[in-house]
Amino acid sequence: MSPLDLVFQYWPAIGAGILGALVPRGDASTKQRAGLGLIAALTTLFVIWLWPTEGGAQAAQAAEAAGEWPHLLNLLIALPIVGAAAVLFIPRQMLSVLRGFTYLVLGIGFVASLWLLTVPMTAGWHFQYIKDWMPSLGIRYHVAIDGISLWLVLLTTFVTPIAAYASFGSIKTRIKEFCFALLLLQGGMIGAFLALDLFLFYVFWELMLVPMFMMIGVWGGADRVKAAIKFFLYTMAGSVLMLAAIIYLVWTHQKLTGDFTFDYLALSRVVLSKNAQIICFWAFSLAFFIKVPMWPVHTWLPDAHVQAPTGGSVILAAVMLKLGTYAYMRFSMGLFPGPASNLSANLAGVAILGGILYGALVAWKQRDVKRLVAYSSVAHLGFVMLGLFSATPTGMQGAVLQMVNHGVSTGALFLLVGVIYDRRHTREVDEFGGLAKVMPIYAVVFLIVTFASVGVPGTNGFVGEFLVIMGTFLSERLGKFAGIHTVGAAAGVILAAVYMLYVVQKMFFGPLTNPKNKHLPDLTVRESLALAPLVLMIFVIGFFPSIFLDRMKESILLQHNQYKVVSGQAILFADERDAKLLPEDTFSPAFLKGMPKKEKPAEPPAGAEGSQAALGGEGKVAQ
Amino acid sequence: MNSGLFLGLSPLLVVSLGGLLLMVAEAFSKRRVDETSDDRDAGPSSELSLGTAVTLLAGAVFAAAIWFVGPEKLEGASSVAPWVIVDRFTLFFSFVLCLGGALAALLAGGYLPEHRLDRGEFYPLIIFSTVGAMILASAGDLLSLFLGLETMSLGVYAMVGFRRASLRSTEAAVKYFLLGSFAAALLLYGGALLYGATGHTDLAGIREAIANMQPGKGSNFALVITAAVLIIVGLAFKVSAVPFHMWTPDAYEGAPTPTTTYMAVAVKCAAFATMLRVLIGAFGEGGLESWAAGWPPVVALLAVLTMTVANLVAGQQESVKRMLAYSSIAHAGYVLVGVVATMRAGGDAQGSVMFYLLTYTVSTVGAFGALILMGSRGAEAVSYEDLAGVGKRHPAAGFAFSLFLLSLAGVPPTAGFFGKLYIVKASIGAGLYPLAIILLLNSVISAYYYLRVMVYMYMREPAPGAPIAKPMRSGYVATALVVAGVLVLVLGLWPTTSLQIAVEAALATR
Repeated sequence: MSPLDLVFQYWPAIGAGILGALVPRGDASTKQRAGLGLIAALTTLFVIWLWPTEGGAQAAQAAEAAGEWPHLLNLLIALPIVGAAAVLFIPRQMLSVLRGFTYLVLGIGFVASLWLLTVPMTAGWHFQYIKDWMPSLGIRYHVAIDGISLWLVLLTTFVTPIAAYASFGSIKTRIKEFCFALLLLQGGMIGAFLALDLFLFYVFWELMLVPMFMMIGVWGGADRVKAAIKFFLYTMAGSVLMLAAIIYLVWTHQKLTGDFTFDYLALSRVVLSKNAQIICFWAFSLAFFIKVPMWPVHTWLPDAHVQAPTGGSVILAAVMLKLGTYAYMRFSMGLFPGPASNLSANLAGVAILGGILYGALVAWKQRDVKRLVAYSSVAHLGFVMLGLFSATPTGMQGAVLQMVNHGVSTGALFLLVGVIYDRRHTREVDEFGGLAKVMPIYAVVFLIVTFASVGVPGTNGFVGEFLVIMGTFLSERLGKFAGIHTVGAAAGVILAAVYMLYVVQKMFFGPLTNPKNKHLPDLTVRESLALAPLVLMIFVIGFFPSIFLDRMKESILLQHNQYKVVSGQAILFADERDAKLLPEDTFSPAFLKGMPKKEKPAEPPAGAEGSQAALGGEGKVAQ
Repeated sequence: MNSGLFLGLSPLLVVSLGGLLLMVAEAFSKRRVDETSDDRDAGPSSELSLGTAVTLLAGAVFAAAIWFVGPEKLEGASSVAPWVIVDRFTLFFSFVLCLGGALAALLAGGYLPEHRLDRGEFYPLIIFSTVGAMILASAGDLLSLFLGLETMSLGVYAMVGFRRASLRSTEAAVKYFLLGSFAAALLLYGGALLYGATGHTDLAGIREAIANMQPGKGSNFALVITAAVLIIVGLAFKVSAVPFHMWTPDAYEGAPTPTTTYMAVAVKCAAFATMLRVLIGAFGEGGLESWAAGWPPVVALLAVLTMTVANLVAGQQESVKRMLAYSSIAHAGYVLVGVVATMRAGGDAQGSVMFYLLTYTVSTVGAFGALILMGSRGAEAVSYEDLAGVGKRHPAAGFAFSLFLLSLAGVPPTAGFFGKLYIVKASIGAGLYPLAIILLLNSVISAYYYLRVMVYMYMREPAPGAPIAKPMRSGYVATALVVAGVLVLVLGLWPTTSLQIAVEAALATR
């Protein structure tokens, strides 16, 4: 293939690259031009590469499974964790080595995660890797990815390097500890998205807490210690109850089948008795609702966000909150479909009143921009939860897309707030006004991200919110309230426009009254390079949502069908007093792939060796 | 006399013999500390500490070796039963007690010279206390049980008052001595009543007699109940369960920190070993083990009170040492939950209790050891303020302390997490849902005060003008911390083998 062919084939990417390089103003540095050009070209390539091709589906089917390297997910999880351990051995004076090493690890993680896209995400699990960890307890290292977690993992590997890049601009102290915390956090988050063993999931879920605690507490604002402790205790309080529920579930499964297992797939078959179902559902969901956060357990969020350093806020908002919504979708809806289905109308009401509307109204009243963005997160995640509660394929697709959207646009908003805070060391809206005159580029970027956050058509926010509202309207689960719910959610969109545009108007337009703002420098090279990928993704998702929706469609449909069938069964059995095991054919075989199989040694004659159960257990007394 | 008996008793014999030898060595040693000297290596600690640790570890190794041989294969080892029972339960506890004692001795090797307390008698005291603790764990008869208890306690009384010039240390010793004797008296009284009611002093015989007893008029059942109450109260003093914990914070705070470590680890483990032996061995039948008329609700109430009160009070402390004292009370509460669960879940639950004691031992030794490491001559680190900014100035020490605190708080993947997990699992398996939930919520409360230490280490700077804590340099303390740290991680990542061992050990008593 001659170079000319390459040019013809990839002309959009080259064009985008040139365009990107030309965007900065005349006095911009070469580094900035090259960086922006590269980011634009790569984003275009990304879109071209993912564009669905005609008749490609069959070819893709054939290619499936052939190209799955089983250790890819292990690499994604282990690389940052091993990297974090390695950071401990780098001398703290070698700042550039520390930074370079962190970039390297995060960069490899990002590139490796792009590999996930090469596999067509058919229903079921991909890149599955299973290894026994503690066989006597049925705890396995079981990781796998599907069309839902795919996007959240990509979001993580995409946002964390940006957060790291931005943070190294403003964080000057204790770089070594920062690199350590960041990498450990990355490993924990990816692990939690990929784990299919409840025990493994819990370990990763808790593993994230400590680095985030350190991040808020060490590099945060004035009141950081209180915020950090509040964050830790809230999250831990939720998760210990989940642990109790996990153990109860495992115990019930053991009673029904004689096997200990923490495997999500195997435990999905268990239908608990009615009360136990409801209690366990709440124990799980409370942990997730705290993380999301849903009203009324959202109060840790504004404090944590306001006190966290910019990089920490970005990761917290973009990725960690998604763990709550993702885990609700995967575990609460997957393990306890009965209560999830029965309660969905009420919970949707809470999501709308407490999340979307209340969050928006409180955001409107904030004088601190960062606090405002934090409360806007409560509102946006209300949409995500609404999409999940609606339990229609459309709504769930919208919810997953909205998770990604919120990660991109709120991440960008926190970066932007960090920019102004680094310059003025205040975030009070009243301190600003007329900034568009001194910081035009900053103003434009802020406006674009605001539009995305509000959900203006053409940006990512529109697609996600539209799908969620559609899904809500069509939902059967919400019953006769679907219409009212839809109206409430739509009102939330308007309120979002009110509070976001209000702050934009206050900060950027009007007269430039405050003399301290007269000579603020515009975006630096580092800041613009950190923001560029996020801004581009806003439009990529806004204009080409299908490349995202296509890849999650089958997984969502599978999850939805299963939810529908199993919740029906669960409600049917709910009146029985005893727990029950659903037959395997209730589930799609693609879903159950990798479930631990009971190895029966062909009907043991005497039954003496039969009980391999549990901790070596009573079976060994006799020996 | 035969070799099986010697082999069976070898952990006990090795440790006693080593202790005697070290005593002689100490008496003939030329090393005497000059109170004015700055040379920290001149005193007896520099050789005795290592000798003690080696002796105790040798005991642990012998215990492990007999485990692999199999105590039931030893001919003649049962000839000393029921006074000393050589079974897997005994061996497990011998191992844990020797490990805890050895690590405490290593800590003392750094601490005593640093704080001008370098007198040789500390080490024989630690060794003979451990011998007492091992007898306590292996006793199948109320008489040898009492003997072990007193042997253990007498040594510890002296160790608590080891800082003779300090008023607080003396006060702590007197308090501990008075209340400890009181508890021992209760235990003895309970034992006497039990003998009166059943005609037996050995636990198996008592159990049998109780099982054959017909509740009703004219029977000795009321006497048995009274005895059970007295014995439970006596043991509750020893494990410092609320409301019998009042001596603990003062004694723990006043004692030199290695003594505190030893009390928190070895004394507590030995007391729990006895509790398991007595509650299950003697009171395991005849209705006494039932929820309706037996000890489980009493112990459950103790557990709830212990966890909740200790955690709430621990959060209020301004001294880290006192906080760790309350934290050790709280951990006793978690273990009591497991003890209640043994009633129904059997071997699994008892195994989880024993595994918990192992994880608790390594985490607690680590936490106290890290606290010792943070202080130096004339400036012992005691309060939170003393730790301000340590994480920044001395990252390795701060990291170690954080690891142990996270393990005590029960954050995965550390040993403490699995300890809690198994106890919760056992109590859910036994249907004790409220206890499991209360335990878990308490672990959230406890996270608050453990995190507070990390907050001071990493997120605070010392106030201007305040004395800056300077960590001591001691190879002994560092070694103890490394050993404990490795064990915390190993037990956290690969807990199954040790858990299986604990369960197997537990099954020996049932």
